[in-house]
Amino acid sequence: MEEILNALARAFSFGTPLLIACLGAIINERAGVVNLGVEGMMALGALAGFAVAFGSGLGDGNLWLALLAAMLAGALAALLHGFVTISLRANQFVSGLALTMLGLGVAGLLGKRFEGQPLFNQPPEWPFTLGAIGLAALLAFVFYATKIGLSLRSVGENPAAADLLGINVLLVRYAAVAAGGSLAGLAGAYLSLVYRPSWTDGMTGGLGWIAVALVVFVGWSPLRAVFGAVFFGLLYYLQFRLQGQGGIPSEVFASLPYILVILVLALSGLRRQQGNAPEALGRPYQRGER
Amino acid sequence: MGKSWLVSIVAALGLSFGMAQQTNLKACFIYVGPVGDVGWTFAHDEARRAAEKAIPGLQTQFVESVKPADTLATVDRLVSGGCNVIFTTSFDFMDQTLEAAKKYPDVIFAHASGFKRAPNMLTYMADFYQIYYLNGLMAGALTRSGKVGYVGAFPIPELKRHISAFALGVRAVNPRATVNVKWINAWFDPVKAREAAEALMAEGNDILAFTEDTASVIQTAARRKIPSFSHYNSMYRFAPDYVVSGQIVDWGVLYIDLLRKIQNGTYTTKNLQNVDYWWLAREKAVMLGAQTGMPINPKFEAALKRATMTVNGKRMSVYDRVMELNKDIMSANPKWDPFTGPIRDRNGVIRVPAGRRMTIKELNEMQWMAPGVVGQVPDEPK
Repeated sequence: MEEILNALARAFSFGTPLLIACLGAIINERAGVVNLGVEGMMALGALAGFAVAFGSGLGDGNLWLALLAAMLAGALAALLHGFVTISLRANQFVSGLALTMLGLGVAGLLGKRFEGQPLFNQPPEWPFTLGAIGLAALLAFVFYATKIGLSLRSVGENPAAADLLGINVLLVRYAAVAAGGSLAGLAGAYLSLVYRPSWTDGMTGGLGWIAVALVVFVGWSPLRAVFGAVFFGLLYYLQFRLQGQGGIPSEVFASLPYILVILVLALSGLRRQQGNAPEALGRPYQRGER
Repeated sequence: MGKSWLVSIVAALGLSFGMAQQTNLKACFIYVGPVGDVGWTFAHDEARRAAEKAIPGLQTQFVESVKPADTLATVDRLVSGGCNVIFTTSFDFMDQTLEAAKKYPDVIFAHASGFKRAPNMLTYMADFYQIYYLNGLMAGALTRSGKVGYVGAFPIPELKRHISAFALGVRAVNPRATVNVKWINAWFDPVKAREAAEALMAEGNDILAFTEDTASVIQTAARRKIPSFSHYNSMYRFAPDYVVSGQIVDWGVLYIDLLRKIQNGTYTTKNLQNVDYWWLAREKAVMLGAQTGMPINPKFEAALKRATMTVNGKRMSVYDRVMELNKDIMSANPKWDPFTGPIRDRNGVIRVPAGRRMTIKELNEMQWMAPGVVGQVPDEPK
């Protein structure tokens, strides 16, 4: 029993940054914009959060400031992606990849002076986990029960129709991209302030990519994202917990999440549908163009 | 304008030719990781800077995060940039370094932690196995559950040697204790290191040690108030109440000695075939502690003084034993070595006969594991 509780605790702890980043990506993808730059935005958020917390000694009040800085850093990076893909209508996938490299590189460069510095007064993890789950519920509510959610979804499904109805497509997309970026930044800050309180170049370790995959895995649903993140977290923990026990090579558990993503994609392909992917996902919008 | 530019080039050329006749030494370093990883590469870079300060006329340059497959290309670039001594600081650079040494017979190559040499290529290593044994003694004294957790990077001979030395120390104090190893298959991955540490604690390990390049294990253990041992650099500051001790490297003394001998002509591109620096505590290349000048965290002194063990039929405190051995390995002629026979592996096979010590070659190629180590490893002889 204790063993199960412990495994669940690990799953939630590791799943929290995945969930936060995944929810962010769901927001901008629901509005029709793919942002593969999650990993880069997380790195920038991790550094911004750590830099503020370290510079201010992380008193109680300053944790908020650090989180705010992380969200701001993520949002700014995302807005760059927004400008390139929404206003200039460049390829979203290429721009997102570039953002990942840019974010990792800039964070690595600016973060040199913070490397090897420990952070004390480590904040507990559970408020972040609860907050992330609450956010998932809130997003589900907003998406399906409010006018804002309807506008967001219609921009992602059929921007031309949304435009005819008087919705400002570009504005909605910009807002969604900024929101997605700020959550990616927050996920990064969770890593550098809470999960492993320190900053090192490359500390995001590919989590951003898992979050991107998770969006597809959970079919763009915020509530399913909670279970998806915890499930990924559990598998991640089990690859170490079960190592050297029961004869199953730990590599099996390490690769299981990715195998599952491929499986889910293949299944939705077999059913001849793109899962729940927003219709206009990945396509820039220009008025009068079909 | 155009002419003055030409003149200055000619002047610079003339100057560098003049320098080359005397002491122009440009040492270049190829690193496997980022310099800020608080581990292996960071330590090498610290040493590079120390050498630059200590040796007049020495110029240095480094390239970080080089993939093993890119070693030769990086060497090409450095040689064309004027490097005449090149340090390749990772085991996986070995074969391409040897290739580079053949390609550039006028350049001196130095490869860390490997075993292949050439007339213009030497090998060097600062090794911790003696100190791991001392840490093992302390871990054995401090564990209540009899289970000591160990987060390992890769199951290669270097780690097998370190973990086995550690386990021999643990069992010298606590003959029934086990050292439980989890591999993360990465030198640098803070997330994996944390989850591996969490898994070890969930299994009841109440002391943690590790060989990988982050301070994650220390931070994770401290959250649950569990003591740990630091690795490679001063990591005391990450958890001052919970870091017991550890091992610290100082590549600086080794690099300075080597470069001085290259500068004064002792080492040339013709006579390195048998030059292998295998430096230990005696040469001050490694030392016991979680921080320079602090072999044992004072917070754990009392507990280690209370704990006792039997050495050659005499009872003594673990603290005294650690201090005694630490003094011995730092002396000019150490009498003690952890891999002194008779030693059996964990399958009961005699690996070091009574009265013998393992040679450097045997240590470098070690594949067996000492009794008490729990965890899968490949290439283990049956």
